[in-house]
Amino acid sequence: MAKYIVKYGRDDRVKFISHLDFVRCFHRAVRRSALNFEFSQGFNPHPVMTIAQPLPVCVTSESEYMKVGFVTDMSDNEIKDELNRRMPPGFTVYAVRRVEGKEIDLTKINMAEYITEIECESPCDIEKLLNEKELVVPKKTKSGIRDSDIRPHIFELEKLGFTDGVMTVRMTVSCGSTYNLKPETVVSAAEKYIDGFSATFCTSHRKSMLIDKKEIM
Amino acid sequence: MITLKDKILSKVTKPTRYTGGELNAVIKDPKTVDIRFGFCFPDVYEIAMSHLGLKIIYHTLNTRPDTYCERVFAPWDDMEQEMRKYDMPLFALETGDAVTHFDMLGFTLQYELSYSNIVNMLDLAKIPVLAAERSEEYPIIYGGGPCAYNAEPIADIFDFFMLGEGEEQVHETMDVLKEWKKEGKKSKKELLERLVKIDGIYVPSFYDVEYTEQGTVKTITPNNPNAPKTILKRVVKDFDATYAPDTIIVPFGEVVHDRVMLEVMRGCMRGCRFCQAGYIYRPLRERKPETLLSLADDLLSKSGFDEISLSSLSTSDFTGLPCLTDGLLKITEEKKIGLSLPSLRIDNFSLELMEKVQKVRKSGITFAPEAGTQRLRDVINKNITEENILQSTALLFAGGWTNVKLYFMIGLPTETDTDVCGIAELAGRVLDVYFEIPKEERAKNINITVSTSSFVPKPFTAFQWVGMNSREEIIRKQKLIKDSIPSKRIRYTYHDNKTSYLEGVFSRGDRRLCKSIIKAVELGCKFDGWGEFFDFDKWMQAFDQTGIDPDFYTARERSYDEVLPWDHIDVGVTKEFLMNENEKAKAESTTPHCRLECSKCGAHRFKTGVCTERRGADNG
Repeated sequence: MAKYIVKYGRDDRVKFISHLDFVRCFHRAVRRSALNFEFSQGFNPHPVMTIAQPLPVCVTSESEYMKVGFVTDMSDNEIKDELNRRMPPGFTVYAVRRVEGKEIDLTKINMAEYITEIECESPCDIEKLLNEKELVVPKKTKSGIRDSDIRPHIFELEKLGFTDGVMTVRMTVSCGSTYNLKPETVVSAAEKYIDGFSATFCTSHRKSMLIDKKEIM
Repeated sequence: MITLKDKILSKVTKPTRYTGGELNAVIKDPKTVDIRFGFCFPDVYEIAMSHLGLKIIYHTLNTRPDTYCERVFAPWDDMEQEMRKYDMPLFALETGDAVTHFDMLGFTLQYELSYSNIVNMLDLAKIPVLAAERSEEYPIIYGGGPCAYNAEPIADIFDFFMLGEGEEQVHETMDVLKEWKKEGKKSKKELLERLVKIDGIYVPSFYDVEYTEQGTVKTITPNNPNAPKTILKRVVKDFDATYAPDTIIVPFGEVVHDRVMLEVMRGCMRGCRFCQAGYIYRPLRERKPETLLSLADDLLSKSGFDEISLSSLSTSDFTGLPCLTDGLLKITEEKKIGLSLPSLRIDNFSLELMEKVQKVRKSGITFAPEAGTQRLRDVINKNITEENILQSTALLFAGGWTNVKLYFMIGLPTETDTDVCGIAELAGRVLDVYFEIPKEERAKNINITVSTSSFVPKPFTAFQWVGMNSREEIIRKQKLIKDSIPSKRIRYTYHDNKTSYLEGVFSRGDRRLCKSIIKAVELGCKFDGWGEFFDFDKWMQAFDQTGIDPDFYTARERSYDEVLPWDHIDVGVTKEFLMNENEKAKAESTTPHCRLECSKCGAHRFKTGVCTERRGADNG
């Protein structure tokens, strides 16, 4: 029995899968594989598996993490290849690393980087947005929708381009259990604070998840 | 890149219903195939993906390099609204391409209440609903499945029907279609003339129906020299060797039957007189345990499902059951896979088997006595006794089970109030059985549920002539049961009588009903099997506006000399046999099952399965 950190991602083909459906999907992939899960003890044993941060529906990613227990003789690389063979098309496992104890603590993730495409008639003035002292917008929390100042949670925000009515931005924002800022909330702040800016649709790609600004693996 | 599909799918519930791309879904380049085929299931994804027939036809057609079979399902209401808003036609899941100009669409007809969805799907696909209005540029549309045996109410919509088992027919059909397409798709009529030569294919436009002054069918006459007078259903002769997929699509979202289904048998030998499946799938045929074990191994290892279920009409009648379950338990225990055994009969119910299967949780068990008194059980030929029921439940309670569901039908032929109250009384005696077990030996919190549905007479059953109870009568009987339930520990639930009524109209309907269905869809009817959509008043309005009296189809008792709308269809079981069974029902006389004695139903013509087995009492 050993614990592994798995770094994986998903593309457009499978981006509409919900978090819970992904968990089941991964369970089935392991059942199809030469790997064996480590099962929890107790009356109703289940695979030992923790996903760092749920990926919202309609978001693609190249930087997801989970911690999972396998009973296997395979090397890290062999596990990676086996998972890639067994996952449905659209998922990629980038790396697998066997870890001891709290060597990598996924609960410490506090930042994520996104590439977001925003459908809008004209691009928004990013600098002006970042110059605002506070950006107070309604935000979903555990206790319902509440106004929250998201400005302290935007670390980077830059425009990458604007073509055919789609503005592309890159942003680094708070992510994790303490404070989780979604790209669409940033877009809603731009709509509120930048006069004349209105987005009709946006879609995001999670480029990285970081612990204290450092890549996890 | 932002796509229209992204925008639409971000707004709807359960978007993976529409994305395709599941594990084991077949990916082909449409440019490399001759035939684009859509397997259409007129219900939502979760229902469609639980259907065994879909899995068989989908995978067998896709073994052909010349054919690409894709899945086409009814979008849920939210998705339909988005599709209509953006003018997105009905699409196939694999490629996302519109089905408007596919070569062929095959609808599976599983229940009458899905007819409105067929019309709605064709409308969404921008395909003319009536076959006569579809030129060669549109797909050839056929229907198959149990409702195809009397598909007269939707006959005007379909170019043809496949009667019986499709495993061989679909391939023969593709061969003909491919030829016709190569020759330049000359005329649809000419294609149908070629298709009708395939055994089991019924082309409704090749038959004229005339009606009597009383409104019953007078004659059904072929109007095309190629059309046979009667169409005999198709049966696969060697069921053990018949194609069964060794891989299945694994849905992303949860579906109704989220598990591997292993079809152990086809057909049923019991001959319950109300049961259409029991007659139309005759004769009973089995797969060999070793064939099934090898299939199970493949299906589980290629899908990763953690549950497997045996599929058949009456699993306890499977001769290889002990051998199969032993073999399966070896696989399931090792891989922590759940095994479920539905459709066990109450009479030869084996507690030992249940113990083996349900090691941890003792979940609920459903029994189907179907009727409350022995007299009525004899009428319907259920061939189980009250003693069987009480003994089995005693074993269950002693074994630790506490959730027992008893399933009955009300409105059965010859039923009296004594029979109706008998349902509540039987449930009471089951509860007594529980209390007779010493307190320390029985599990706590007994939970008995009595569930009733209303009997709907079906074509090709012994009861195809009988009148159906009115809704008022059903409601009265439901109340009678409710008032006779002897204990608060017995819960009573019943099925909605309005949907049963509609089912009754269509199951024995004729071609004149088609206009009512189309009208109902115009009025907004769809997903009639779903409480949140079913609108009885709209249906009544549709009947009214199209000059149909629905009671004509439900309430009326038919005489034996009446021409029935499905008399040109031959399911193997003869009309004479069914008449005889109906008479025996009236006389409260039972008919032995096929392994005890051949009752000469007519299915021996197929020369396979139980009809060719050696018979004797010891085989029962």
